[in-house]
Amino acid sequence: MKQYFTYFKISFISGLQYRVSALAGLSTQFFFGFVFIMIYLAFYETEYDSAPMKFNELVTYLWLGQAFFSLMYLYHKDKELISMIRDGNISYELCRPQNLYWKWYIKIFSSKLSMVLLRFFPVIIIAFLLPFPYNLSLPNNMFSFIFFVISMIIGAFLVTSLSTMVHIIAFFSLDEKGIMSMFMVIADLFAGGIVPVLFLPKFLQLIADYLPFRYIFDLPYRIYSGNITGMTAVSNVLIQLLWVFVSIGIGYYLNKRILSKVEVQGG
Amino acid sequence: MVKVYLKYLKLHLKSVMQYKLSFILGFISQFFVFFASYFVIISLFEKFGSIKGFTVYEILFTFAVVNIGFSLNEVFARGVDNFDHFIKAGKYDQLLLKPVNIFLQVLGSDINFLKLSKLLQSIVILIIALVNLDIDWSVFKVLIILNMIAGAFCVFLGVFILNAAYCFYTVEGLEVRNVLSYGGREMAQYPVSVFKKEFATFFTYVIPFAFINYYPLLYFTGRESNILLVFSPLIIILFVIPCYYIFNISSRKYLSTGS
Repeated sequence: MKQYFTYFKISFISGLQYRVSALAGLSTQFFFGFVFIMIYLAFYETEYDSAPMKFNELVTYLWLGQAFFSLMYLYHKDKELISMIRDGNISYELCRPQNLYWKWYIKIFSSKLSMVLLRFFPVIIIAFLLPFPYNLSLPNNMFSFIFFVISMIIGAFLVTSLSTMVHIIAFFSLDEKGIMSMFMVIADLFAGGIVPVLFLPKFLQLIADYLPFRYIFDLPYRIYSGNITGMTAVSNVLIQLLWVFVSIGIGYYLNKRILSKVEVQGG
Repeated sequence: MVKVYLKYLKLHLKSVMQYKLSFILGFISQFFVFFASYFVIISLFEKFGSIKGFTVYEILFTFAVVNIGFSLNEVFARGVDNFDHFIKAGKYDQLLLKPVNIFLQVLGSDINFLKLSKLLQSIVILIIALVNLDIDWSVFKVLIILNMIAGAFCVFLGVFILNAAYCFYTVEGLEVRNVLSYGGREMAQYPVSVFKKEFATFFTYVIPFAFINYYPLLYFTGRESNILLVFSPLIIILFVIPCYYIFNISSRKYLSTGS
C-alpha cells in the first residue's frame, strides 16, 4: 500500500511543475467558455421556450466544465505509458512485484489531480465575478453542494477507471489512435462533453442513461445547479458508485487476461 | 519556388506512403474527432429552430466554408503552426543557411495529409448545405463561395503567421496561441452577428472574420443585393500582408537557443 502512495506522490509532484503552462491555459479556457456561452445565449434569446434547461444552469454547467476540464477530460492520454507500450519498456514494469493495474490507475489519477488543482481555482473565482448572465451561480443549496462534492469525487474515480481501461486496451491492440479516438468521441458524446446531455436528441439521451459516461461530470454539474435534486440525486449517485465498481472490475480482469499472453514490442 | 514546394510535397507523400495502415487509422480517427464539431450544431438546431434569424443550413454553410479554409491550413501550413519547434530546437539556424525563402522552407517542413479527412468532410457538409438552401444561383454566387473559402484560408494563415512571429520573442509557443487559431475557428463557424457587440467589432476590424462569415453570407442568402459584398472576402489581404511583415520584422529579433 505504501509503495502505491509513494508512487502517487511522485506523479503528483511532477505534475505540479507545469504552473506556467497552466496559467497560460487559463486565457484559452476563458475564451472558449465565452464563445460557447455567447452561442448558447444567441439561441436562448431567439427561442427561450425550446431550451431543455434554464440559462443560468447551463452557464454554471459550462463554467464548471471549464474549471474541472483537466480532471474530467476523457481524452486523457498518458504519454509515458503510451511510449512504454510502443518501445517495449513495459517489460521492465512487468518485472516489478507490483500490480500493474493499480499502478497505472494511480498514475493517471494523480496526474489528473495535479493538473486540476493548478487550474480549477482561478477559473471558479473569475467566473463567479463575471457580470450577469455570464457568471457562475452559487450552488442551489447546501444539500446540492454536499452532493456535488461527493459526486465529483466519485466521478473522478469513474473517469480514471475508464481511462485506465482505455490504456489497457491500447496496450493490447498497440493502436492508440484509430480505435481509441473512436471510443473517446463516442464516450464524450454520451458524457455530455460535446453538448450537455439534456441537449442531445431524445433517443441518444435514452442510450446515455444505460452507459457510465453521463455519470462522470454531467451528473455532478447538474446537481450543483439544482437541475437534479432530492431522491433523484441520491439514486443517481448510487448508480454512479456502482459504475465505478463495475469499470474497475472490468479493467482489472482485462489487465489480468492480457498480461497472461502479452507480446512485448522489441526495440 | 513552386518547384521546390512540389518537391517537398512529393517527399512528404512518400513518407506517408511508408506507413499506410497507420495513415488509414489516423484518417479514420480524424473523421471521428471532427464529427464532434458539427454534432454541436445539429443537436442545438434539433432543440431550437434558428439562431438570430439564421437557419441550420445557413450555419452549416458557414461552418463548412470556415472549416475548408482552416483544414487547408492544417494540411499545408502545419509548419507555421508548429513554428516553435524550429526555435526551441535551434533548427531555425538551419533554415537561415539554405538559399531558399525561409517562409517556403517553413511551409515545406511539414505537410499533414491526415487533415485531408477534415477537408473531405467539410466539402460533404458544404454540398449538403447547398442542396438544402434555397439559392438564386448566378455566376456571382459561385464566385462568392470561392472567395469565402479563399478568405477563410487566408485569415487563418495570417493568424498562424502571427503565432509564429511571437515565438521569436517567447521561444516557447504557449497555449495562448490557441485562442485565435482554434478558438477563432470555433467562433468563425457562426456569423459574427450572433455574438455580443464588442466581440463582433473585434472580429470585424482586428481579426476580420466578418468578411468571410457575415457580409458575404448576407449576399449569398439574398438578404442583401449589393454586388460589392461578393468581393468583401478580398479585404482579408489587408490582414495577411501585415502579418507577413510582422513575421519578417520579428525574425530579426532571433537569437539562437544554441541547442
